[in-house]
Amino acid sequence: MGAPDKTLVLPPLSLYVHFPWCETKCPYCDFNSHALREALPEEDYCHVLLHDLKAISHYAQGRQLASVFFGGGTPSLFSARVIAQVLEHADKQIGLQENVEITLEANPGSADVTRFSDYHSAGVTRLSLGVQSFSDTQLLALGRIHNSLQALQAVDMAAQAGFAHVNIDLMHGLPEQSIELAAQDIDTAISLEPNHLSLYQLTLEPNTQFAAQPPTLPDETTCWQIRNLFEETAASAGYEQYEVSAFARPGGHCSHNLNYWSFGDYLGIGAGAHGKVTSSNGIGRYAHEKHPRRYMAMVKANQSGRNLKLASAEEIAFEFLLNALRLKNGFRLIDFSQRTGLSAECILDTVKNAANRGLLNISNNRVRATDLGYRFLDDVIALFLPETD
Amino acid sequence: MLPRNQKKIRNFAIIAHIDHGKSTLSDRLIQMCGGLTDREMSEQVLDSMELERERGITIKSQSVSLKYKSCNGEQYSLNFIDTPGHVDFAYEVSRSLSACEGALLVVDASQGVEAQTLANCYAAVDLGLEVIPVLNKIDLPSAEPERVLQEIEELIGLDCSNALSISAKTGAGVEQVLESIVSSLPGPKGEERDPLKALIIDSWFDNYHGTVSLVRVVDGKIAKRGKVKMSSTGGVHQVEEVGIFTPKKNPVGELVAGDVGYMIAGIKDVKAAKVGDTIIDAKSVGTTALPGFKEEKPTVFAGLYPVNNADYDSFRVALEKLSLNDASLRHEPEVSPALGFGFRCGFLGLLHLEIIQERLEREYELELITTAPTVLYHVLTTEQKLVKVENPADLPDSAVISEIREPFIRARILSPQDQVGSIISLCIDKRGLQQNINYHGRQVLIEFDLPLAEVVLDFHDQLKSVSRGYASLDYELLDHRKADMVKLDILINGDRIDPLSVLVHREQAKYRARDLVSRMRKLIPRQMFDVAIQASIGSRVISRETVKALRKNVTAKCYGGDITRKRKLLEKQKEGKKRMKQIGSVSIPQEAFLSVLRVGS
Repeated sequence: MGAPDKTLVLPPLSLYVHFPWCETKCPYCDFNSHALREALPEEDYCHVLLHDLKAISHYAQGRQLASVFFGGGTPSLFSARVIAQVLEHADKQIGLQENVEITLEANPGSADVTRFSDYHSAGVTRLSLGVQSFSDTQLLALGRIHNSLQALQAVDMAAQAGFAHVNIDLMHGLPEQSIELAAQDIDTAISLEPNHLSLYQLTLEPNTQFAAQPPTLPDETTCWQIRNLFEETAASAGYEQYEVSAFARPGGHCSHNLNYWSFGDYLGIGAGAHGKVTSSNGIGRYAHEKHPRRYMAMVKANQSGRNLKLASAEEIAFEFLLNALRLKNGFRLIDFSQRTGLSAECILDTVKNAANRGLLNISNNRVRATDLGYRFLDDVIALFLPETD
Repeated sequence: MLPRNQKKIRNFAIIAHIDHGKSTLSDRLIQMCGGLTDREMSEQVLDSMELERERGITIKSQSVSLKYKSCNGEQYSLNFIDTPGHVDFAYEVSRSLSACEGALLVVDASQGVEAQTLANCYAAVDLGLEVIPVLNKIDLPSAEPERVLQEIEELIGLDCSNALSISAKTGAGVEQVLESIVSSLPGPKGEERDPLKALIIDSWFDNYHGTVSLVRVVDGKIAKRGKVKMSSTGGVHQVEEVGIFTPKKNPVGELVAGDVGYMIAGIKDVKAAKVGDTIIDAKSVGTTALPGFKEEKPTVFAGLYPVNNADYDSFRVALEKLSLNDASLRHEPEVSPALGFGFRCGFLGLLHLEIIQERLEREYELELITTAPTVLYHVLTTEQKLVKVENPADLPDSAVISEIREPFIRARILSPQDQVGSIISLCIDKRGLQQNINYHGRQVLIEFDLPLAEVVLDFHDQLKSVSRGYASLDYELLDHRKADMVKLDILINGDRIDPLSVLVHREQAKYRARDLVSRMRKLIPRQMFDVAIQASIGSRVISRETVKALRKNVTAKCYGGDITRKRKLLEKQKEGKKRMKQIGSVSIPQEAFLSVLRVGS
């Protein structure tokens, strides 16, 4: 594998804004989120975000933002005023595309029509609701702060507040979940008619409360049946799976996430946020300090970790595949060359090998996982890991 | 140099079971004769290899020449030849013994006679040696000298009227041992003026000198700068140095009839100075060799593989070095799809195998996988040709096999009476044929003819376990006998895994097949598809189990552009897979192979 060459094209750019606080920490969650033990430092954090934004804006290299994503943690702890300020500065420093998608993650536990309307007025175009389940028993087991009624109301309020694009996060394989309970969850979610569903299985991640004290999870066969049920129910209700856990009705795709999966560029601001930037030197990454207080102190001292670390050709190739193979339609070989600056030759042997094993399909210069490969995506992606000895 | 008087030389060996005090006694003898100062006396001087000390066994023969002034006022040269004590080295023992005129039979006064002692003592008596019975550890409260003496008389048929009672630990009675050696053992008979005949007791490789041979001069003499010839190979060598061990190497001008000492003659390969060979004068024609020389042939075979394939080269070098020192160790490169590159090695027996394995691991810091030991089968083809098969994978096609013959041994098991029943059932389980049973006081001597293949697996451990540690075993190879053996193949998703094939007796095939298949099933992880594990004889599957396919990976939500964690997770999983071997598209962990290769039953 050689150095990136001139095939490297500047890809679309998005902005991720991280809010690292939650009211309580959920026992399964391994995201960079911290239970709020004191008053939310709203003003201070907003100030730091704006400062951070300014410092990284030159990475845009003339591109405007195709999407913005406010994630967490719980961004909806912050008022619409903060969101509006960040967006205003993003537009001023970098520029927002005319049809920019702006998503905000909200916790159904603190849903409120006025609040949602304010977000909408601030420019947010899409609301992603961390519902997880509509069963009170399951929500309790997951340590969520909301109940099923609040979940239902939150979806309703999003519509009332004028959001045409709503996503519902739904987990399965929950503690002691039966197929019947799971069926109720997916049916309820679909009856609320969001145009996007994120359906993913609960995994026990290291360094979480669940890892230390594992709950009783359904057996493999039950999880498998629930997963199939979710996919079939979503499909028959017109939701098309376009990524491992993402399902959308026509026009409902999340362009922000699609940008990650198709190996676009992104800037990240906020504690622990990551950025990926293509430049004439190659592809570089940066990662901010994860701890909120330390992150804020570093940005204020103008020393936040935003220096790009150039990735090696092997890393880039692997990371492209790690993302792109998650997409149901995979990628075109030309996409690979343009986004990585590498010749598709360097992955072709492994692709063919996987194709021979029935894991990948190559046709019309497009590579995608077969049904078998899609089920064993981790195994497929691992084939592309650079050799470590 | 004092003129040497043969009458004042005594060449002797000590016959003893492990732990009966041979090393302590020999240290005492060396100390009393002033062979080393106290400061130089490290514990147990003769067992110089770390491994020998740790296991309390002697692997290589060694000797020490001691000066002893008897109470009759005469100065004697006592040549003590230390011998390996294990059945695997029976041939080396017999060569050591034949270099002596006498032997001390050392028996623990509480434990009594053990099978190994019995065999070695018979060998000494057969070679015409004068044997002095010595009861050791009489200071222990559990000592029962009378019972043990009776055992010696009954089992070995040795007159115990002049037996000595000593404690090598406290030193009590050791002086009498030295006096007894001088007064009861005959001196050597050879003639210095006759043509040279010297016996090679042992040979080893030394980085500075090449091959060093421990020799007993029977007739004539070996002088520095003289030319000698090996009677079995005809190889001629110039003697560079001769000397005696005191126990330090001590060069002398010549070794004459009756002497025991070392010879260095610029020999690069230890195989050119074989144990038991006769050294004669280079110009000599028609000198008859000393009796009893034979080529040592391995009886037990196993594959040895480095755990890390990268260690292959250092493994090869280590084996070559060990072979320099051990003419009976054989090794040939072998490739196993499961275990990679390794060597198929031939050993004198199980202990020999264990010792080699441990030395490779310890002295050369190699991590090794050793496959289950196998034996040498004789296969008679339909064209009446005899094919020798060391490795079941090399077995000719069953269509051309007329008969398979397996090696049998005569086992002598010595055990307290109350364990007899369970020992006999164990031997019968192992397809043994009872030959003899004799009661001697509390001890019973049981003789069985057993297939060696059964013995090399875990017979010894099982014997120890059914006898609560009391039974001891000795055996000798008898012959090859016709046996109803079948080749059991292991198949993974229809692919036969050659190195996993085993030769088993037909009656045990079904049981072994079920056992092997179920062990592999437990160790093969679930994969994207069903994995069928089968055991078959020819095309007939006699056992089958399936590792059910996984449904899918659990792929968690990917978020926020932080791919580092996902990447680390996959890398970790991949590391785990690397240790697995790919057979077709099936990943099989090494442990699954080992479960079949390592243990036999």
